[in-house]
Order: sequence, then C-alpha cells, then structure tokens
Amino acid sequence: MRNHNLGTLYCYEMKKIMKRKLVWATMFVCLVGVIVAVCSGLMGNYYVDGEFRDTHYHMYQVDRQYMEALSGRVVDQQLLTQMEEAYAMIPPGAERYTLTEEYQTYARPYSEIFNLVRTWTGMKMEEVKAWEADEQALYRMRQENLEKEWQDAMLTEKEKAFWREKEAQIDKPVTYLYYDGLGRCAVHFVPTIGVLTLLFVAVSLSGIFAEEHTRRTDQLILTGAKGKSTAYYAKILAGISFAALGTLVMETLTVILALSLYGAGGSEAAFQLAYAGYSYPLTVGQACLIEYGIILVTAVTGGVFVMVLSEVMHNSLATLAVCSGWIIAGMMIHIPEQSRMLCQIWNWQPSNFPAVQNIFDERMIPLFGRCLVSWQIVPVLYLFFALLAVAWGIRVYRRYQVSGR
Amino acid sequence: MELVIDRLTKQYRNRIAVDRVSVKMQQGVYGLLGANGAGKTTLMRMLCGILRPTGGTVAFDGMDVGEEAYRAVLGYLPQDFGYYPEFNATDFLLYLAALKGIPRAQAKKKAAELLELVSLQESRRKKIKTFSGGMKQRLGIAQALLNDPQLLILDEPTAGLDPKERVRFRNLIGRLGKDRVVLLSTHIVSDIEHIADQILMMKAGRLIYQGGWDEEMGDLEAFYLSQFAEEEGEMKDAES
Repeated sequence: MRNHNLGTLYCYEMKKIMKRKLVWATMFVCLVGVIVAVCSGLMGNYYVDGEFRDTHYHMYQVDRQYMEALSGRVVDQQLLTQMEEAYAMIPPGAERYTLTEEYQTYARPYSEIFNLVRTWTGMKMEEVKAWEADEQALYRMRQENLEKEWQDAMLTEKEKAFWREKEAQIDKPVTYLYYDGLGRCAVHFVPTIGVLTLLFVAVSLSGIFAEEHTRRTDQLILTGAKGKSTAYYAKILAGISFAALGTLVMETLTVILALSLYGAGGSEAAFQLAYAGYSYPLTVGQACLIEYGIILVTAVTGGVFVMVLSEVMHNSLATLAVCSGWIIAGMMIHIPEQSRMLCQIWNWQPSNFPAVQNIFDERMIPLFGRCLVSWQIVPVLYLFFALLAVAWGIRVYRRYQVSGR
Repeated sequence: MELVIDRLTKQYRNRIAVDRVSVKMQQGVYGLLGANGAGKTTLMRMLCGILRPTGGTVAFDGMDVGEEAYRAVLGYLPQDFGYYPEFNATDFLLYLAALKGIPRAQAKKKAAELLELVSLQESRRKKIKTFSGGMKQRLGIAQALLNDPQLLILDEPTAGLDPKERVRFRNLIGRLGKDRVVLLSTHIVSDIEHIADQILMMKAGRLIYQGGWDEEMGDLEAFYLSQFAEEEGEMKDAES
C-alpha cells in the first residue's frame, strides 16, 4: 500500500536545507546584523568640538532614569507646566542649549515630554520652548497636526472620518509609561529585521528547486510516484517552515536583546507615545505583536515567491540576484505620495512593508463597503498571492522537461 | 504485463530526436543499442514521463505515462543521475523510497536489502560525496529497484562499474527480467547479447532493428558496427 509520505518528504526537504553551509553562514551574518542594529545606539562616545563628553551608554542610562521617573504620570496640565518651567530655566540664546548646566539639571528630566509635545503638535524646537503649556491646546494641536498629515497623504473624507473616530477612542489625557525596550522594537528595529529576514529567506530558499535541476536529481524525483505533487508541496512546506523558523530566531533575539538593554516594561503604553502620527487605539505591546507577526507573514510570502522563482528560473544564483535586486530597489526607490496608489502599492510590497510607517499607514483599502487598514489587509493579500504563486509554481514544476543534458 | 509504445516522436525545432517509434514489450530484458545521438536517452526519458513527446503515446498495462499509477510501477536509472552529497546511502534510499510512496517501515527493510544486494551495506552510513563512481552507480541501481518495479528502465547502467561488477550486474538484470519489463541501453554490445531477450537498435531516432538475436544470425557486434559504418558513410556523403 502506498501513501503520500508528505511528512517523511518534508523532513528530508528540511534536512536538505539545513545541510547547506551557506544557510548557516547567512544566518550568522543576519544575527550579527540584528545584534549591531539593537546595540548600535549604545556604542561609541559623544564628542563636542572634538572633545570627549560622555559615552552613549552613560547618556542613555541617565535619560532612562529620567524616563522611568516619569513613568505612570498623566500627560496633563501639571506635567506640561513642569516641563515648561524646567525648559524656561535654560538661558535664552544659548547656542547649544543641551550643553547648558540648566538643561542638564532641570530640563533634561522632562526631555521625553518635550519631544512628545514636539512630535504630536509638529512644532519646531524653538516653538515648543516658547509654548505656553496648555493640556487642552496640546490635544487640539495634535488633532490639527493629524488633519494636516491626512491631507498631505491625500486621504479621502471616508478615511479621515475613520481616523477621527479612532483618535477619539484614545484615552486622553494619555498616561506616560516607560516603554523604551518595546518602543524601539516597534519603531526602530522593524525595517532592519524585515530586510535581514528577506535576505536570509532569499539565500536559504533560492536553491530548493533550482539545485535539483543543476544537481540532476530532478529526474529521480519526477519519476517517483509522489514526485510530481507531494514532493512539490513538501518542498514548499519545508521552505515556509524554514523561513518562519529563521524569522522567529531573529525576532526573538531582537526582542530579548532590546528588552534586556532598554527595559522590559511599557507594553500597556499608548502606541501614540512611540509613534505620534497614528490614531488607532493600540498599545505598544499590541503594535509590536502586529509588526512582528507581519514580518513573519512577509518572510513566509517572500519565501514562497523565492521558491517559485527558483523553479521558474532553474538557477539559484539568478533567483538570488533577482531577489537581492528587488530588496535593494525597495530601499532605494521612493515614489512620491502624490501618486497615491502607486506609492501605496510600492510601500506595501514585501521588501518595503516591514517599517512602522508602512505597517501603520493611514492610507486604507476600501473592501466590501469597509475601509481596512494596511496591517489588516496586507497580510491577507500576501497570503492570497502566496497561494496563487504556489498554484502557478506546481504548473511550472509538473511541466518541467528533462532535456538537453 | 505490457508496455505499449505507439508512434512515439520527439521533435526539436529542426531535428527529430525520436521518429515514430512503435514497440510492444512484454516481460523480459530489452537491450537498446545505438550510437551517441541515436535517440536512446530521449526515448527513455519519454518512457519515464520526464520528457513530453511531440506525438505518440506510452502506456503500461493501460496506464498512461503521465499517471501516478504508471510512475508507481516504474524504476529508472538515468544516465547522469544526481545525488545529495551530504546524505548517506541509507538516507538517500529512504528519501527516494518516500518519493515512490513506500511506507517508512517497509522502505527501511527494502533499503537494507538493496544495499546488501549492491554490496554497499558497509558504506550505508557514509556520505555519498565520499563514494567512488562505481559505488554511486551501484547506489543508483539500488534506488531504481526500491519499489520492485514492473517496468525497469536503465540508461547506461554499467557505466562506471568495474568488469567484475558488470558481470554481477548483468546477472542481476537477467534475473529481474524474468518477471518484469526491463529496458536497458548501452554502448557495450556484450552487456546486451548475454542477457537481452530482445534487441532494439536505434539510428537517427528510428528503430532499425527489433527482435531476438541468436548465434545463427551472426555476430551482434559486427551487425551493430556495420550500422555505424553505414552512418559514418552517410555523414561523409552529406559533408561532401
């Protein structure tokens, strides 16, 4: 009696991937990349006019103490007034105000709130320093700033109404919580992990089909009873699992490093503290889960495309070249927001999407009478296109002809 | 048990590699002879379903070459088969057994038997990349027999084997041909004349001889070489 042997074939396909030295070398490079990305903010020294001032690590420790001291406080009139009074101590006209004793002593403990006011309202540095603290005005100016951003992003009235409703759902006044570890995970490290996982997937999976042809094992596979269907799905499943596994390793390392270096708290903090221009009522922890989930889906989708491409091209190097070119193009080509649809498509394609501004893009997609936000619809679209690619790939795979050797 | 090849044709742009080949094969050993470029490998690939014919059909006991059921009774040793250098011999056979749809427990037993049959049982844990050419060829033969195929297609199976191994392998093929259809191609006439029940001779994509051969008909090698000489003569005529 013959069976499908999908499980056995899957195990052997995983073994084939794991036995490639290039895969482990790439994983090592990617993990080093993750470590550098997470730790780079703490490396090096701060110099003023060529003179050593402090280490970045020590400066961060001081700032962290101040941020932790503010944790749990509501961003209300009292806190804003304290911030205003502290910043008013800085001598007017100081060329580099952060170097003054007054800033270091009085203002620096409130610099986190100062930056929050600046990013929420869109005011320039000097304007915030001259601003008369007013809780009502802060939240009103935030709303005005968001309206301006929505206008610049060419949102429709329906989209604007959606975001106004979401903005209204955010509890105000907002409570500040120390969130730096998770905040960095959510805002700063996402593009780095996104690119590294795609690179890892491209290198690891570009040979999964192509090498069977170059190695001439394809004739043995395709003449097996399960060679024209089960073997294909076993390869796809192995590639998907490996892409997911590699991504989870990189994500886990990022989160563990970030939380141990920058603090583990703040998962309940409002996401708007970390990413000012977004109005969906999310916490920093929820935003992180969404982003890292999306990186996982992106890696899996990218993996499927790489594998199908490797079957179409029958050449792992050519596949790798196309994928690398695509990743680099994603980083280098910028489409202006005025071409909204084109810009949206370009920013939402797998090599660009893992970035906070794209995952939490205010532009939406209307579907079945509802407006869906990018992090809700894009992963679904990815999985849909991945399924299409798998279906196309098996057609190519089954029609392959062994000739001319 | 019958393999029916009906007007099988493969044409590449301006060259016909296999030209309307029709044969019916029952159980026994069929030796396929032909010079390089005669179309032997192309014919065998079409019989294995990895090369689509331009025309004609192939069926085994009513099963079309494109069906999974056909592949389930097929054993194939390609002329230039690849391997996974990091796999050991046992893993290689178990992987191919899984591809043939054989359950794991049965595959383990069969793999052990075949490794013994091809004298590789002591090297079963060694990586294939450490194998000699002859060892790889023997492993290839073992994989072709994993599913006890009713239709066994062997493309140059004795290439890379030393004389002793060749004789041993010839005897094995002779035994296998008693209850299945075995088609083997080779350049070496002596490989075929000892074991083949039927001779198929190909030239320029066509079957030029099909049938049994016995000593009364003369020397097979001389006949084969005379066909070569004719071909060379035709080529010279064409060139002049």
